[in-house]
Amino acid sequence: MENKLVNIKVNGKKYKVAASSTILCACKGCGIDIPSLCYLEGVSSEAACSMCLVEVKGAKTLVRACVMNVSENMEIFTKTQRVNNARRINLELILANHPLDCASCDKDGDCRLQDLAGEFGIKKSRYFSRDKIFGKKQNTAWQANPFIHLDPDKCIQCGCCINSCKHEAVQEAISFSGRGYRQKVSTPFSVPLEQTNCQFCGVCVQVCPVGALVEKPRIGKGKLKDFISTDTICAYCGVGCNIILYKDIRNNLVMSKGIANKKINNRRLCVKGRFGYEYADSPDRLTTPLIKENGKFRKAAWKEALSYTARKLSKIKAKYGPDAIGVLGSSRCTNEDNYLIQKFARAVIQTNNVDNCARLCHSSTVAGLGKAFGAGAATNSISDIEDADVIFIIGSNMAETHPVIAQIVKEHKKNNNPKIIVCDPRYVQMAQVADIFIQQFPGTDVALLNGIMKLIIDKHLDNRKFINAHTQGVNEFKKVVNKYDLKKVSRTTGVQPCRIEAAADIIGQAKNMMIFFTMGITQHTTGVDNVLSIANLALLTGNIGRRGAGVMPLRGQANVQGSCDLGALPNVFPGYQKVQDPDVIKKFQDAWGVELSAKVGLPVSEFAEESIKGNLKAVYIMGENPLMTEADINKTRYAYKKLEFLAIQSIFLSETAQMADVIFPAASAYEKEGTFTNTDRTVQLLRPAKQMPKGAKFDWQIVSDLSTAMGYPMLYKNSTQIADEIAQLTPSYAGIHHYRLQKEGIQWPCIDDKHTGTLFLYKDAAFKKPNKKAQFSAISYKQANELPDKKYPFILTTGRILYHFHSGNETRRVKVLDKFVPRNYVEIHPEDARKLKLKHNEMANVSTRRGSIKLTVRISERPKKGVIFIPFHFKEAAANVLTNSALDPVSKIPEYKVCAACIKPLKKKRR
Amino acid sequence: MKISNLSALNAYKEKGLKKLKPRIPRIAVGMGTCGIGNGADKVYHCFKKILKNKKIKAYLSKTGCFGFCAKEPLVNIYLPHKPLIILHSVSTKDVPEIINCVKSGNLNKISKEKILCKIEKWDHLTEQIFYGRNFPEIPAWDKTPFFKSQKKIVLRNCGLINPEDIDEYIAAGGYQALYKVVKQALPHKVIQQLKASKLRGRGGAGFPTGRKWELTKQAKADQKFIICNADEGDPGAYMNRNEIESDPHSLLEGMLIGAYAMGATEGIIYVRAEYPLAIGRLKTAIAAARNYKILGENIFNSGFCFDVNIVEGAGAFVCGEETSLIASIEGFAGRPRPRPPFPSQKGLWTKPTNINNVETWFNIPVIIARGGKWFAKTGSASSTGTKVFSLVGKIQNTGLVELPLGTSLETIIYDIGGGSSLGKKIKAVQTGGPSGGCIPREFFSTAVDYESLARLGAIMGSGGMVAMDEDNCMVDVAQYFVEFTTSESCGKCVSCREGLYQALGIIKAVTKGQGKLKDIEELERLGLAIKDSSLCGLGQTGPNPVLTTLCYFQDEYKEHIYEQRCAAGICESLFLSPCENSCPLHMNIPAFIQLFREKRTEDAFWQIIQDNPLPGVTGRICHHPCESRCRRMDIDQAVGQREIHRYISDTIYKQNKDKLIFKTLRKKRQPETGKKIAVVGAGPAGLTAAFYLRRLGHKVTIYEAQAQAGGMLQLTIPAYRLPRILLKREIKNIAGLGIKFVFNKKIGVDIPLKKLEKQHDAVFIAIGAQKELILKLPGENLKGVLSGVAFLEKGGFSKTLMQDEKIVVIGGGNVAIDAARTALRSGAKAILIYRRQENDMPADKQEIEEAKKEGVVFEFLATPCKIIDNGKGQVQAVELVRMESGGFDVSGRRIPVPTDKTFRVSCDKVILAIGERVDSQIFKKNGLAQVKNNTLKVDKFTLKSSREKIYAGGDVLTGPATVAQAMADGKKAAKIIDLRFMRKGRFEKLFKAFKFKQIAPVEPQGKSRSLPRTLLVKDRVKNFKEVACGFSKAQMENETIRCLRCDVKGA
Repeated sequence: MENKLVNIKVNGKKYKVAASSTILCACKGCGIDIPSLCYLEGVSSEAACSMCLVEVKGAKTLVRACVMNVSENMEIFTKTQRVNNARRINLELILANHPLDCASCDKDGDCRLQDLAGEFGIKKSRYFSRDKIFGKKQNTAWQANPFIHLDPDKCIQCGCCINSCKHEAVQEAISFSGRGYRQKVSTPFSVPLEQTNCQFCGVCVQVCPVGALVEKPRIGKGKLKDFISTDTICAYCGVGCNIILYKDIRNNLVMSKGIANKKINNRRLCVKGRFGYEYADSPDRLTTPLIKENGKFRKAAWKEALSYTARKLSKIKAKYGPDAIGVLGSSRCTNEDNYLIQKFARAVIQTNNVDNCARLCHSSTVAGLGKAFGAGAATNSISDIEDADVIFIIGSNMAETHPVIAQIVKEHKKNNNPKIIVCDPRYVQMAQVADIFIQQFPGTDVALLNGIMKLIIDKHLDNRKFINAHTQGVNEFKKVVNKYDLKKVSRTTGVQPCRIEAAADIIGQAKNMMIFFTMGITQHTTGVDNVLSIANLALLTGNIGRRGAGVMPLRGQANVQGSCDLGALPNVFPGYQKVQDPDVIKKFQDAWGVELSAKVGLPVSEFAEESIKGNLKAVYIMGENPLMTEADINKTRYAYKKLEFLAIQSIFLSETAQMADVIFPAASAYEKEGTFTNTDRTVQLLRPAKQMPKGAKFDWQIVSDLSTAMGYPMLYKNSTQIADEIAQLTPSYAGIHHYRLQKEGIQWPCIDDKHTGTLFLYKDAAFKKPNKKAQFSAISYKQANELPDKKYPFILTTGRILYHFHSGNETRRVKVLDKFVPRNYVEIHPEDARKLKLKHNEMANVSTRRGSIKLTVRISERPKKGVIFIPFHFKEAAANVLTNSALDPVSKIPEYKVCAACIKPLKKKRR
Repeated sequence: MKISNLSALNAYKEKGLKKLKPRIPRIAVGMGTCGIGNGADKVYHCFKKILKNKKIKAYLSKTGCFGFCAKEPLVNIYLPHKPLIILHSVSTKDVPEIINCVKSGNLNKISKEKILCKIEKWDHLTEQIFYGRNFPEIPAWDKTPFFKSQKKIVLRNCGLINPEDIDEYIAAGGYQALYKVVKQALPHKVIQQLKASKLRGRGGAGFPTGRKWELTKQAKADQKFIICNADEGDPGAYMNRNEIESDPHSLLEGMLIGAYAMGATEGIIYVRAEYPLAIGRLKTAIAAARNYKILGENIFNSGFCFDVNIVEGAGAFVCGEETSLIASIEGFAGRPRPRPPFPSQKGLWTKPTNINNVETWFNIPVIIARGGKWFAKTGSASSTGTKVFSLVGKIQNTGLVELPLGTSLETIIYDIGGGSSLGKKIKAVQTGGPSGGCIPREFFSTAVDYESLARLGAIMGSGGMVAMDEDNCMVDVAQYFVEFTTSESCGKCVSCREGLYQALGIIKAVTKGQGKLKDIEELERLGLAIKDSSLCGLGQTGPNPVLTTLCYFQDEYKEHIYEQRCAAGICESLFLSPCENSCPLHMNIPAFIQLFREKRTEDAFWQIIQDNPLPGVTGRICHHPCESRCRRMDIDQAVGQREIHRYISDTIYKQNKDKLIFKTLRKKRQPETGKKIAVVGAGPAGLTAAFYLRRLGHKVTIYEAQAQAGGMLQLTIPAYRLPRILLKREIKNIAGLGIKFVFNKKIGVDIPLKKLEKQHDAVFIAIGAQKELILKLPGENLKGVLSGVAFLEKGGFSKTLMQDEKIVVIGGGNVAIDAARTALRSGAKAILIYRRQENDMPADKQEIEEAKKEGVVFEFLATPCKIIDNGKGQVQAVELVRMESGGFDVSGRRIPVPTDKTFRVSCDKVILAIGERVDSQIFKKNGLAQVKNNTLKVDKFTLKSSREKIYAGGDVLTGPATVAQAMADGKKAAKIIDLRFMRKGRFEKLFKAFKFKQIAPVEPQGKSRSLPRTLLVKDRVKNFKEVACGFSKAQMENETIRCLRCDVKGA
C-alpha cells in the first residue's frame, strides 16, 4: 500500500506520487514549495497555521496541504490568486500580533515567519494588534527554569511545541489553554514548567518556527547566521543521537539541535544533548601537560611530559614485567582512540591489562549474551521498536538514562499501543506508561524471571518449535526453573503474584517482544546470571532474530559498544577475537610487528585489588575517572595511592587526575573526529564542532606520541587512517570507513565495503555458536553479596539521573544543569522516612560498612519500602563511597546496585 | 419486565393507551422548559392540589411541548370519547374554572380566550389515535393559523405523550419500528429504506444520512460507535432541547435502529450541560428502556446488543462540530481535527463512528414505520421531509414549528409567525444562528431548503430562525454573531482565531462611528478568507452573518460609516436618544422637553428652530417616527412628542416672540461668503436648505414654479390639518433671513437648468413629486374624473363640488384621505376605495380614524376596472373588481389578487389619488442620471447628482414621502454644499448648545398619554377649521414629565 503511486496534477503539470503522502509532501517531492508554519515532518500536523492552503479542484474551500492526502487524478493549484490571497491574509493576521522586533530577536534569520513575511513582502500588518492578553502571570510558568524561555508575545500559536511535546517527547507537559483569541501555550493549571513532567528535552524549542521559544543559554549570544554549525554525535549516553552543534565566532558552543535521522533520534534530544555542551568551553579545561613534583603539579612541555612518562613506564615494564602495568581505555573516547590505546597496551607495553569502563556497566551483558547467543551486543535496532508488540523493560530507568529511547518507546505506545511491562525496584518514569509495573527488591531479578518463565512453561506459552530447532540445554534449564513457584517468587521479590502472572501472560502471547535492560540487571554480583536469565526468556518465547524481537542492553556511554568492539578489554582483540586464540595472536603479531601476550589481562575492577596486593605498579588512563566510578572509592583511592606511577589523559583535573603523576590535556568529544558505536551497533561519524583548547591534543595523538617515545613508532596522520587499520583487522568493522559514514552510520557487522550493515542479529536464528544453536542456561537465584541487617537495615541502590552524567565532570560544569540539580540527595519511601523522622529537603547521613556521606533527603514514593536510592554524580557526596566492591565472578562487575546501608537524620548544628 | 416478543410489546401498548385515553378525564400540563418557565409547574401543582382536595377522579399527567411557545403554558384535556382540547396561556387562576368544566364535562364552557384548538384524531405516524368528535365551535388544530401549514413528523409525539412514561411512547406506536427491524429486516434493508427516504442530516450541513450510515456500516472494525449530537449551541435555537424533553424515546429508538443497521454496540448522547431537564428526562428514558430490556444485551431476544450513555458537554459551541465533539468525549479540549479521516472511518477512540443530530435520529422510526418512499413525498425533491424551526424574534407567534422543507419564508414569518409583533416591518430573517446569514425581505418567497438557503449565503443550520424588524440594526446583528463566534472559536486556525477577532474589531469600530471607508471592503476580504481557510464548520461559516449583512444591508454599514448614524437606534454611541435618532431632522427632543419643563420656553423654541425651521408645520403633520421609538412605550404609551413640539411653537407664536428670535438668527448669521446658491422648489426641502445656507452666509435664491412658497404643504394639505396662516408665518420667518424668492418660474420651462448652473455656485433641486399617477382605466377621461392633487389644490378654496354629490376616492394614502375629507367638507358624500385591507393603508392611522368619524365610507379589497359613462361624457359609476389577499410583497403586505367578481358603485365624481411621481422631464433634458426613469439619482450620502454642482433632496429622490424626510434632505444638503466651498465645522456653529438638567427620573413620572382635544365632528365637518387643537397647559405638563430622558448617559 505504501508504494502505490497515484497520478496528480500540480499547477497543470502531471506527476506520479506515493498514494500515502500528503499534498504537502507530494508537492515537496515534485519540487513545489508550499509554505507552512506548523507542519512538523513525521508528526501529525496541527493544521493550524493556514499557510499551506492550496486549491484542489472540486473542493469547496481551500485545502490544507499538510493533512490532506493525495488521491488519484487530484488537481492541485498552489499559486492561484485565491491561494495567495488567503495565505497573505492569514500571514498578516499572524503578524498583527507578532512583535516586529526582529533586530533584537535571537531567532532573527532562523524564523519561518520572518521568511514568509519577506516572501510576501509584508512590512506591517494591515490589522490591529490585539491587546496583550498575556500578563506577567503567564510568564511565571516559564521563568524559573534555566533551560527554556517563552516570549508569549512572539507566540503564533502554531502548536508545534505542543505537538512535538505530545508526539516526540511524549510528555504532554504543555498544552493550549483558553479558547479562541485567548488561547495560549501553557502548562496544566499554569504551574511552573519544572513542576510538570517536562524533561526539558527542548524539542519544543527546536520546532518553534519563531522566536517564542528559545534556549535560555543562547539568549544574547548572537544569531544563527553568526554561528558555524557541525553535524556530529551527542557525546553522552549510548543512544548516539545525531546533533548539530553551533559555535560562535569565539569558538564557544552556543546551541545544539537534533537531526531528523529517522533511524536514531529523529530530531529528539534529551536535556543533556540539548544543553550539556557547555563543559567543552569550561575555563577548567586543561591546556598544558602537568607533571607532579613533590605532591604539586607543574606545567610541562609536551615533549618533556611524554618522555618523562615513556621513561617511567619503560622502567616499570623492565623492572616488574609488562603485566605490572594496567591501561584504561574509555567509552567516552572514539573507536580510533580505543583501538590505539589497546594497541598501545598490547603492542607497546605488551600486556593484556587493558580495559575500559564498560567493565563497570555492561561486562555482564557481554559475558552473558555472548554465552547464550554468541555475541554480547544489542540484537536489534532502535528503529525496531515500532515493530514490537510487547516491550519488556527490566532494571532500566530508560526515561532518565536513555531518554530518547524512552521517548521512542512512549511514542510507539501512543501510536500503536504495544503492551509495556516495567520491572524496577523504583517507580521509574516508564512505569507511568506501563501496562504492568513490577517492583521487585533489588537483586532478585533471577527469581522474578524464573518465576515468569515457569508460568510461561506451565501455561504452554513457550515457543516449542523455536526451542527445538534453535536451542540447546532447555531441559536442565526447565529443571531449575520448575522450582520457582509463584508463591515463593512473590515472597522473594516482594511482588504481588497477580502482577507476575499478568506479565507472564503478556510475554507468553507476544508476537514480537523487545527486552530492554541496563545497569539494574548487570551491576550485581549475579550480573551474568541476570543477563543469562533474560537470554533464557528471549529463547523460551522465541523472541530473537526478527525485526522487533530481541534483547536490547542499552549502553550507558556514547561509545561503550565501540570501546569493547575495538578490544579495550583484557581478553579480546578488536572484534572480540580472543587473546588465547593462537591464530588471532598470529594475525595481530603480523599486523603490528611485535610479539603479543596470550594471557588474559586484568579487568579494571581488579586493578585496585592487584595494586594493594602489589602486583600492579603503574596505570595509564585515557579519559576515565575511576576514583569516582569504582565501587568503594575509599579502597580504590588507597590502592591508587600505592601505585608507583599513574598517568592520565584528561580534559579536566578530575578526582583521578589529581592523583596522577602526569596529566596530558586531551580533546573533548565535541572537538574530535572519529567514530562512535552506539547502543544498536551503529558506527557514526563524529566531527569537530569546535577547536580544542590550545595546548590540548587528540587522545589518539597522545597515545601515538607516547608509543613513539617508547620506541614503537605510531605515525598516524589522522583518525581516518586508524579507522582503515581497524577495518583491516576487525571482521565486524571490515566495511566501515569514514568516507562511508558521511551521511549516516552503519550497523556492524559490516563485512566488506559494499555491505550496508546489519539491522538485527541472528537472522533466521543463526546464532554465533557452534552448530548455530543458542544456549539455555540453568540459573538459580543467588542473594546479593551484602544484605540488610539490623545495623544497616536498608538496601541502597545507586543510579543515574536525567540531568547529570556519571562522575559529573562534564554536567556539573554545565551551568544550567548544575543550577537545576545542584546537590546530591537520597530518595526514601515516605513510610521509612516517617519512622526515621527524616524530613524532606533536610540533611541526612547515609553510611555503609565502607563509609558515609551527607546529603539531602528527598521523600518520594518511587523507591520500594526498605530501599533507598542515591545518584552517583556528585563528588561532594559520592555514592561510590558507599557501594560494595564485591564482583561478579565471571564479568568482574562490582555490585553497585545492592548494598546494606543505614540512614540517619543529621542534627542541625546549634549556633 | 423484559419485553422479548411482540405480544409483550403489545401488552405494554395497551397499558399505555389506557394512560393516554383513560376512562376518567385526563389533564396533561405541557412541561417543557419553556412551559415551566411560564409557570407550568405551578399550574400542574395547582391542578394536583385541587383535584385532591375536591376528590375529583382525573388522571393528571405531564407532557412535553406542543410548540406554541408564545402561548405557554399549554394544557390539554381529554374527556373520554371526546376530542382532546388544548388550552393556552393557562395560569393558576384558571385552574378552578377548568376543573369545574372538566367535572361537568362541558369543556366548551371554558373561556374562549383560553381555548387554542381541539384534536379529534392524531397521527403519531407510528400509530393513530382517535380521541372523539365533538365541540364543533372549537377549531380543529390544523385549522388554526399557527398549525395550519405545519406537518408533524419529528414532533409527532411532542406535547401529547408523557415523556417520562415509556408506556405512553409505546402506546403511540413506539418501539414497533425497532421490533420490525431487529426481528425482520437485515441491516442493509434499513439503509435501503433510509436512502429511499432521501433524508439529509438535520445538523445543518445536510449530508445524506443513508450514505453516511452506509459508510459506517462498511467500515471494518471490532467496535463501532454512534453518537447523537445534542450540543445545540446556536443562540435562538432550542429545537433539540424540546425534542428530547418532549419525546426522549423517539431518540433512543432512532439510535437503536441506527446501531442495528450500522453494527454499533455503543451509543453516546452528547448533550449540553445547560439542558438539565432534557438530560433528566433522557436518563429516565434510558433507565426505563433498560428496565424493559429494550436497551442492553440481547434486545427482543434477537442477540442484538446496544446501550446508550450520556456525555454532558461543557458548553463549548465548537463541540457541535463532529470532530471536536469526538475530541471532547475522549477527554481532550474541543478542537476540531482535520478530515479525512472522517469519523465514519476513524472516529471516537479511532473506531468507526456515526454522528447524527437529534432531529435526524427522530426521523428514523417514522421512516422505518412508514417507509422511505412515504417520507420522500414530503418536502421538496432534493430536501425531503420536514424541518423543525425555532421561530423567534420580532414576530407574534414565537414557537417551535415543523414544516415540510421547501416551505417559503413568507409562510413561516407571516402565516405562522403572524408577522411583526410590534406592527413594524420585518426586515430580515436570520437563519442558522452564528453560522447562518440574514435573509432580507426581498427573498422571503424563497423556499427553505438546504440549497436555496446556501445560495443566499445563509445555511439551514440546526433550524434557528430569528425575525428582525426595522428596529434591528444589521451591523449590530453582525457584531452580535461575530462576537459569539469569536469567543467560541477554539483558536486552532489562524483565520478563525485572529480573523474573526479582527472582523469583530472592525465592526465594533463601525458601530461606534469610527468606521473607515475601506472597512466594508476589508470585512468582505477578511470574511471570504476566513471561510476559505478554516478547518471546521465554525470558521467556514462564522463570517456568514457579516457577509450576508454586507451583501444585503450594505447601506446600513455605510450609514454608520459615512453619517455616524444607526437608523435602527441600536448602536448607542451614535445617538442621543431613540427619538432623536429616529427623527429625520435629528431634533434634540429631550432637550426641548426639558427646557420647557425648566420654564425656558424661548430656549426650547430656539432648540427646536435650530433643527427644524418649520416647527408649527411639523408639529401638526409630521409622521412622528420619534413616537414609534419612544422607550416610554415599554411602560405605557409613547410621549406625545409632536404635540409637545407644536405646543412650544404655538406658544411662541401666540406671544409673537418668534420675530425677535429670527431677528437674532439673522444677526448672528455667518459673514457673507459671496457664494451664490440656487434652490429649485420652495417646498419643505427647499425652504430648509435655504434656511441653513443663508445662515451660513451664502446668497440663496429660491426658484418656485407656483405663485407662492410651501410646495405640497401649500398645495395639497387641507387647511383643517394645516392652517395657512401658520404656514405663511413660518415661510415669512425663513424668508426674513434674507432669501430671495423667484416665483412662477418653472425650471426647464421658464429658466433653463444650465443657466442656473452657470449663474450659481451650486444648485439644489427640491422640486418634489407632483405628477399624478394615472391608472389608464377605460373612462378615465370622462368629465368628473379628477386627480387627487388637482382636487386638493382647489379644494380648500373653490367649490368644485355640489352639495350631496357622491364622490368616489380611489387610493389609500394621505392624499386619498385628504381628498375624501375635503369632499365631505364641500358637502359631498365620500366613498374611499382601496385595493388592500385597512391595515395595509399607507395613510396616517389617526387620519383614517378621523375620516371614519366624519363619515367617509371605506370599501376595501376592491379596485376599479372601468369608469362608466352616463352617456353624456360624464361619470355615472365605477366598476370595481373584488380583490383577494394573496402572497406577500417585499413590504410584508399581502398582494391583492383580482377575483372574477365585479360590482358597481354609482357616483358623480371620481378622484384618483393613487399616488404621485416625479416629473422627470427636466432630468432627461439635462442629462441627469435617474433611477428607473423616475426619481433623480444622487449619491445617498452626499445628495450629489450625476452632475457636479447639482444637488437634490426631498421627494424628488424618493417619490412621495414625508415632510420631515424632505426637510432632513434640505438640512443635509446645506451642510454638504457648505462643505463644498468652505472648511469643516462651520455648519455645527449654527447650533447653540443649551445647558439643562441631566437627570433621568428614577421612576417613570406622569400619567398615561394625554390626547389632544379635537373639534367635534359636527363643528368641523362643514368647514376647514383646524381639527386638532393641541394640548392644554395641564396636558402639556403631564406630557413633558413623562419623558424618560434617554439622552442622559452614564450616572
